[in-house]
Amino acid sequence: MIIFTDVNKWYGNYHALVNVSAQVKRGQVVVVCGPSGSGKSTLIRTVNRLEDIQKGQIAFDGQDVNAAGLDLNKFRTRVGFVFQQFNLFPHLSVLENIILSPTRVNGLKRGLAKDKALTLLERVGLSSKADSYPGQLSGGQQQRVAIARALAMDPPAMLFDEPTSALDPEMVGEVLNVMKSLARDGMTMMCVTHEMGFAREVADQVWFMDAGVILEKAEPEKFFSRPEHPRAQRFLSDLRSH
Amino acid sequence: MLKGIVLTLELTVASWLLALVLGTVLATVRMTNHRLAKIVVGCFVAYHRNVPMLVQIMMWYFALPSLLPVSAQLWINQFNGEFLYSVIAIGLCMAAYVSEDIRSGLRAIPFGQFEASRALGLSYIGSMRFVILPQAMRIAVPPLINHTVLLFKNTSLAMAIGVAELTYATRQIENYTFRTFEAYFLASACYLALSLALMGAGALLARHYRIPGSK
Amino acid sequence: MFEILKNYWDLLLLGQYPSGPLGGLSVTLILSLLGLGLAFPVSIVLALARISPIVTVRIPATVLVYVIRGIPLIMVIFWVYFFLPLLIGRTITGFTTMLCTLVIYQSAYLSEVIRAGIEALPKGQIEASRALGLGYFRTVRFVILPQALYNMMPSMISQFVSTIKETSLGYVINVPEITFAANQVNNQLLTQPLAVFSILALVYFLLCFSFTELADYIERRITRKRDGKRKKIKLGAPVKRNYIAMSTATVSKENS
Repeated sequence: MIIFTDVNKWYGNYHALVNVSAQVKRGQVVVVCGPSGSGKSTLIRTVNRLEDIQKGQIAFDGQDVNAAGLDLNKFRTRVGFVFQQFNLFPHLSVLENIILSPTRVNGLKRGLAKDKALTLLERVGLSSKADSYPGQLSGGQQQRVAIARALAMDPPAMLFDEPTSALDPEMVGEVLNVMKSLARDGMTMMCVTHEMGFAREVADQVWFMDAGVILEKAEPEKFFSRPEHPRAQRFLSDLRSH
Repeated sequence: MLKGIVLTLELTVASWLLALVLGTVLATVRMTNHRLAKIVVGCFVAYHRNVPMLVQIMMWYFALPSLLPVSAQLWINQFNGEFLYSVIAIGLCMAAYVSEDIRSGLRAIPFGQFEASRALGLSYIGSMRFVILPQAMRIAVPPLINHTVLLFKNTSLAMAIGVAELTYATRQIENYTFRTFEAYFLASACYLALSLALMGAGALLARHYRIPGSK
Repeated sequence: MFEILKNYWDLLLLGQYPSGPLGGLSVTLILSLLGLGLAFPVSIVLALARISPIVTVRIPATVLVYVIRGIPLIMVIFWVYFFLPLLIGRTITGFTTMLCTLVIYQSAYLSEVIRAGIEALPKGQIEASRALGLGYFRTVRFVILPQALYNMMPSMISQFVSTIKETSLGYVINVPEITFAANQVNNQLLTQPLAVFSILALVYFLLCFSFTELADYIERRITRKRDGKRKKIKLGAPVKRNYIAMSTATVSKENS
């Protein structure tokens, strides 16, 4: 579904992604973890071209992401992206947030879009908040709306960039539950996250990154009990120490 | 005095339109991140914010016509030159302020909003239209209203070059009739009424477009 | 342009002094400093009156501020010009007129700045101070005003810049400040208006620009001090706000 081939990215002289090659198969859930500045957010943002690459190839559902004639806007509707800072549009109601893209980009009729939005809101547990505004919701609620907004276009895959890092601890659970239910329903997911419990429960693969390189790819059980790479071992022990 | 009020209003509207259009153009140019564009716009804004309005009017009326050929000067003077120069001076000065207001409105929007709208598939124009500009305008409207009131009051400076707007007319009335207090009281009342009306309209506008749930 | 400066620098800087009253740039500066300086205590009183819980104090103060802010500066000048001599029973010079005008005008605007500064302070400050037993005036004097004024220093410097620009209106009532002096020079020369007024604009520009930069510098220092000297950790990838680049992104590919 998502194939990285020899992906390289530089910020000026800083080599942010170094020869990254990896695959996310259809229906798989991949968790990308690693210390700060390891390039995990950068990697996930290259899939829908929020970041560009200078070398290498990225294929999404068979489509070369950096192809010359690509209709970028239509392509992006097929990649569901959830941001760390939620980035809901504060001047639109929850319902309007969700139907904005389907109606404006895909030309879906408002009535149909609204029905779909309400279904999605029910799925994330927020059907009562359809007419509320983001400023009136808690962080956890906002992030769940953001997930619904990304799902509104039926993307074949969802990307999550540290979806719970900006949340107060008591709200992390509600967002993770939504993500777990998505995973159990067979959605292809690529998540950058520090939530190791989540990784253990639903991930099919864990990728460990440091300094722009994927140092280890393993099944969660194997990764958490017997990591091979010394850097990964150090990372996990740091994580456990508190 | 009525003619003075009318002329004041004409000055205000003309300068305001010029300021709004030019200010938007300047803000858009500055957003292109082109190095030369930013320097040019930056200089324009710096000049108009640091040089007094009166001096700017003098520049346009006394100094700059000397650059034009004599025939052009005569032609302009035929068509109410003072009015034209005042409109240009006030309009350009306020355009600098308007562009700064729009710019600060845009800068107040977190870049993540733009990223999110692009990630949803909206085009550049779509993002601007549905996400960025609605939010930026709400932020920019209060300072824009303030600067509109300022523009309105600055029209009084045109009297220095002989434009027969309200302040000039008041002085004339006072010269002829010596009813100083009434004349100035009436004129001040007019200015005050219009300023308050503008500020009130602004407050109504801000309240109508308030985003529920924002602080 | 330089010959004009060479020939007339004394007129522009000092006016008719010593063979007459002081004028030119000196008067501009003196007028601005005195104007804002004298307006300062008045504006503090006005600001406190504006937020006073006593209605008979608050309403007149609010009305006064709105009136002064609602009419152009030229109007205020004319009011003072015509009615102050009537009030105090003797004629006054243009300089005094201008000074009084500036004090009145600026105290209204400055009081709004100070009021904003006071209202921006956390309510806890007043609560803590009263809980310690400090009365109203002591609270204001030792707790509220020092903080509010410090935080509002950049805005106050901006007001000073505005005052400098407002002195140019002294031209209308023949106050011998620099705009008036420049017009005198222009009336003598008659053939080089562009050069004369460019000098005038340049003087104002340099003056106001330097103070604005000073205000920005102080604001940066205050913000840094307020947020603590730690460097803020930015979450997420480094973002350069480039709307255009994100839309027309093309990938420069190198053949491996």
